[in-house]
This record gives sequence, structure tokens and C-alpha cells, in this order.
Amino acid sequence: MRRLLNRVHWPLWVVLVLIALALILPAILPWTYDQIDWEAVRAPAFSGSHIFGTDEIGRDRLARLAAGTQVTLMVAIAAALVSLVVGIAWGATAGWVGGKVDEAMMRFVDALYALPFMFIVILLMVIFGRSILLVFIGIGLVEWLTMARVVRGQVMALKQRPFILAAEAAGTPPRTIILKHVLPNIAGVALAYLMLTVPQVVMVESFLSFLGLGVQEPLTSLGILVKEGADDMDMTPLGLLLPGGLLVIILVCLTIEGERLRDIFS
Amino acid sequence: MLALVARRLMTAIPTLLAIILASFFLMRLAPGGPFDGERPLPPETQAALQTAYGLDKPLWEQAWIYISRLVQGDFGPSLVYRDFTVSELVAQGLPISLTLGGLAIVLALVIGISAGLSAAVRAGKAADKTIMMLATVATALPTFVTGPALALLFGLWLGLLPVSGTGDGWSWLIMPVVALALPVSGAIAKLTRAGLATVLKQDHIRTARARGLPETKILFKHGLRPALVPVASYLGPAAAGLLTGAVVVETVFGLPGLGRYFVQGALNRDYPLVLGVVTLYAALIILFNLFADLIYGWLDPRMRDG
Repeated sequence: MRRLLNRVHWPLWVVLVLIALALILPAILPWTYDQIDWEAVRAPAFSGSHIFGTDEIGRDRLARLAAGTQVTLMVAIAAALVSLVVGIAWGATAGWVGGKVDEAMMRFVDALYALPFMFIVILLMVIFGRSILLVFIGIGLVEWLTMARVVRGQVMALKQRPFILAAEAAGTPPRTIILKHVLPNIAGVALAYLMLTVPQVVMVESFLSFLGLGVQEPLTSLGILVKEGADDMDMTPLGLLLPGGLLVIILVCLTIEGERLRDIFS
Repeated sequence: MLALVARRLMTAIPTLLAIILASFFLMRLAPGGPFDGERPLPPETQAALQTAYGLDKPLWEQAWIYISRLVQGDFGPSLVYRDFTVSELVAQGLPISLTLGGLAIVLALVIGISAGLSAAVRAGKAADKTIMMLATVATALPTFVTGPALALLFGLWLGLLPVSGTGDGWSWLIMPVVALALPVSGAIAKLTRAGLATVLKQDHIRTARARGLPETKILFKHGLRPALVPVASYLGPAAAGLLTGAVVVETVFGLPGLGRYFVQGALNRDYPLVLGVVTLYAALIILFNLFADLIYGWLDPRMRDG
């Protein structure tokens, strides 16, 4: 645990502080994210109880930012976990079984890689309607490809290591070998790629929400806030700059941290 | 080289067909249709509309009709833009999207390769670290943030560039192209830097140095070409990324390109329009991958038979 904490670098601290703020702020702010203050429409920053002012229909900006960050990160983490589970299961099976099965499984991954997946997600949205559940299932199901490739490579390398061969020779059932010996050894790399998947998913979710195909009103997300800000930027630039800046900070920090972890573990 | 092209084309056609069929059936599985308005239409009107657009025939027959018309360049009528065929909309949008994407990839290559190159020759120094940090930041810049931010800064505040639409001249292209190119250029910079770092340690470079060749010649003639192989293999995914980015950029800057029709079609369940655009996107990506393979073969002669 100590070792893990020492590996936490400033970008991750920034994200953790932002998450904490997003969780705490809604509880202590006098306004909720969908509450309209009729007295203060498009209020400037630091007016009354609105620290960052209000938007074009009088909703508190800070409360909306906190709620949007919550939704965006929740979708991202949920979808990244889906991709982690699917990716590890697929990659570990392919790497462990090897041979024809491996080839077929990885061909499938290659084929999916070649597809313009954003359009597939949009197609799914069009077909099954727009719901937050579908947003993250759709994203999680296409973001597992890299994880599967990486895990497969790791498992194939591990399979040749003496301690695995010894376990096999001792008659340990494959299930136990995989759970007890293989998975713990790929945890680090998987964590690094999980960290890199989160910003990818944040990007996809915000992209969909920005186009009106993702999270739907009254729920909000950073993508929706950027969209609202962009529509109203000639009146109140703050509406664009705050969620846009926040989104970029989260994306940059997660990418830097993920790349650092990846370089450490591989 | 010709064999490679032929083989790639042989696999491209079935792939394209599979994508068309898959998206065709997916669209038809969708609950709700384009004629579901606020008020339900009388059943006779609904039946008449279904017959007029051929939606009452069996699915396989519809698919067959669709594909046989597609081969002749007929994407069918748009269900939402009632006065236009999808082919007309696409013919209008494609040049704009191609211009945007083409200029963006050229800009990204120029910025990315020169940034990667200048970082690699200063390996380990502060300039190297700064450039690489900037590249990381660039890859994390979503077009739907940079687009509006650029429009705010250069369009509204400084008043230098048009905020929306395709005005006279070419100044309307600047901001969309820059917003599109930024993340791709970051990725290319990283790949170039990593590729050069590996290549510059190899024997043929040491030999060139030992023979006293000027450093610039070593870098450009012997170093850069093999170092760009990873960049070439990134071009395929980059094209897919640019097409996706173009959807946002066209929406943000109000450009009537393919991407905007795609979003409009998706929001309004305009099946023929969405299908047509997806088919075109798939064809473009397949074509671009082929092009990337050719560049790959040019950079690395060993790949030519592959």
C-alpha cells in the first residue's frame, strides 16, 4: 500500500481532489444543479451565493460543474471497469490457450480495431435510444480491445516463466494457476491501461453528450456543460471556459499518470 | 507492390459489404421510425408512407434493393430532408469533409514530425521534455473543447476569423483544421520521437557518423525514414479519429459536411442518410488504410511483399 501511495504522482492527486470536490460540493452548496434562481439569470461570478455565477436560465454554475463531473467520471469509471473485465477475460483466454483459438480471438480484435467505433456507438444510440446505461455499455464494449491485446501479450510471456511451468508440472488446475499466479502478475500493467482507458472513455462520453446523443437532460455531464457553454459563449464565456478547462485538466492529468504507470510496469 | 494493392482491395470489398449489411439490419431493428411524430399519423397515411419508401417489403428484399441501388451510386431518398436524396446531401457534404480532413492530416504531419524531430535531437534536455509534455497535452485536447475555445478567442474576442459557416476565401478553414489537427499532431510527435530514439542508436547511423557525414544528412536521409514507420501505421487510426473529430468540428463551426448530416440523421432516425454516411465513412477509412499501407511499403522495403 505504501509503495502504491508513493507511486501516486501529482496529476493523480489533482484528479482525486477534483473527485472529492465533486462529491462534497453538492452537499454544502445552497443550490442544486437543476434548481433555477429566477432572481439571477446569467449572474456574473461571485454574485451572492453563486460563486461562478449562473447559466442562461439561472442555474448555479458551480453546482452544475460538480454534478457534471460526477456523472462524467462515474460513466468513465464504470465503462473502464467493463473494459477491464472483458479485456482481461478475452486476452487471458487467448494468451493462455494459444494456437488456433488465440489466432481467431485476436483476428476478431484486429477486425474490431479497424472499425470506426465512434460511429458504431452512435448507431447503437440511434437504435436503442439514448440512455446513460447504454452510453457506458457501448463505450465499455469497444474500449476493451487494447486491454485484451496487452493482457494477451503479458500472459503469453508469463506462461513460459519457470514458476508457472512448475505449477503446471505439479498438477495445479489451470483455473488456480490463472487466478493465483497469472492475474496478480498482470495487475500492474492492467492498472496502467485502466488509467489510460478512463480519459478515453471521458472523451467518448463527452463527445456523445456534446452532440446530444449521450447523457440526457435534466441529468448533466461535462460534455453537456461544454455544449451549453459553446451555445451561449457570446453572452457568458465563463460557461464554456469552466467546464472546458475542467475537462481538459482531468484528461491531461489522467493521460500523464497513465503513461507514467505504463512506462513503470512495461 | 501491385500484388499488395490487389490483395487489400480483395479484402476491402467483403469488409465494406459486411459493414453495410450489419448497419442496415441494425437500423431496421431499431424501435421507432422516422415517421413517428408528436401526433400518431392515421393508419392509412402510415401504410402509404411505408409503401412509398419500400418499408413494407421483407427485410432481405429491402437489403438487396438497397445494395443494388448503392452500386449505382443511389443512396435512396432522405427521410427527413424530404426534398433531397441522400446522394445529393452526400455530394454536397463530402468535399467539405475531405478538405477539412486532408488539410488537418497534412498539418498534423508537419507539426508532429518537426516537433518529434526537434525533441529527438535534444534527447534528455529540457527542450525535449517540454516538447513531449506539450505533445501529451495536445493528445488530450478534445476537439469539442478546442473548437469552441478557438472560436471564442479568434472569432468573438479578436474578431480575426469567421465563427461559423463557409465564407469567402479560405479563412473559415483555419480554426476547424487547427482544432482537428492538434490531437493527431501530438500523437505523431510522440511516435516520431520514439522512432528516432530507437533508430539513432542503430549501427547504420553509427557507421554514417564514423564516415563523417554531416549530422543533418544523417538525420534526414538515414534516420527519419525508418523512424517514420510507426507514424505510417498510425495513419489508419488517425484517419478514423479525424472523421470522428470532423463530426464535432462541422457541428461547432456550422459547416455543411458529412459529419453534420450524420448527426442530424442520427438525431432524427433518418435511416438512409445515416446508412449512406456510415458506408462512405467505412469506404474512406478502408481507402485510407490502403494508402497508409503504400506509404508503409515505401518507408520500409521489407513490407512490400507483405
